Amino acid sequence: MSSGSPMFEVVRLVHCAAAGGPAADRLRTELGAAVSGMARRVLVQPTLPGVRNGGDVLAHLRFDGAAEWRACAGAVDAVLADPGITHVDGAEYDGGIGGFAEPRAPGSVYRVLLLRVAPQTPDATVERFEADLLRMPRYIPTMLSWRLSRVRRGIGSVPWTHVWEQEFTDLDGLDGPYLMHPVHWAHVDRWFDPECPDVIVRDRVCHSFCENDPA
Amino acid sequence: MNTTKVYVTDTVVTKPGRARDFVDAYLREYVPGARERGMTLERIVVSPPIWFPDESNTVTATWVLDGAEGWWAMTWQGRSDPAVRRWWSGVDDLVAQRTRCTGAEVSDVERLADV
Repeated sequence: MSSGSPMFEVVRLVHCAAAGGPAADRLRTELGAAVSGMARRVLVQPTLPGVRNGGDVLAHLRFDGAAEWRACAGAVDAVLADPGITHVDGAEYDGGIGGFAEPRAPGSVYRVLLLRVAPQTPDATVERFEADLLRMPRYIPTMLSWRLSRVRRGIGSVPWTHVWEQEFTDLDGLDGPYLMHPVHWAHVDRWFDPECPDVIVRDRVCHSFCENDPA
Repeated sequence: MNTTKVYVTDTVVTKPGRARDFVDAYLREYVPGARERGMTLERIVVSPPIWFPDESNTVTATWVLDGAEGWWAMTWQGRSDPAVRRWWSGVDDLVAQRTRCTGAEVSDVERLADV
């Protein structure tokens, strides 16, 4: 298990107009051109059925550092200013704490959760919450890689504070073990459940996923 | 049908002298909606079994759900209903502290984790 990543990451969840919105392949081409020579990873895919507040197209960009992102951020913003795009949620962040299952293998589904911890939540509570999320992979074998990061800059519905991203074996590995293991619904979910006094994530989250391109 | 029961337990320490008010409000206002979300109320226990006029009681409500699927169905309905969170906020003046725990019978632990 690795303890961190020096990379700088950007996620955009793009909501398109029902008619006239840009197709994922066009966004892939245009975003690819916008970050050409700067990004180490450019994943732009239509989201898969089942996302919640997850948009129509998911973009995940990875850079060597924040400077590389800043050099092309304006061009990315210009692509996403397309009038056929109705809303964008997103986050910019240094790669946080993560790891991968052994033997290492790419997952066919990339999933990202954007969340906002309520302001004024004590640091010690935030750390307990983060530790609980990072405890999940040991119980969920279909989660092949994972990373939890604090957000430098969030855009969209609310100022997101965290990005929790994973690669899963496949869609069944996300819908099945991840959701159905008791570590999720009987332990970690109390931080998100408005009926639990432990709740610290009160705003609606973005749960988005797409076909992964491990290259 | 999933036969594995999942238990949701609300443990509420009431403010002094307010246990009866809390139980009445819970039964009258919370329980009907919870039943509509698929929860079955197994029991409500008051400890000690005395309506103290000037001390706290502990009220423990145990609910039963039909497996993880039943739990998710319940919680998604509750989260999209602002009345549920408003209800909990509305009983703040009756509650000193509370917890909500989710569990299962010992004999079901391995089965639930085998996903």
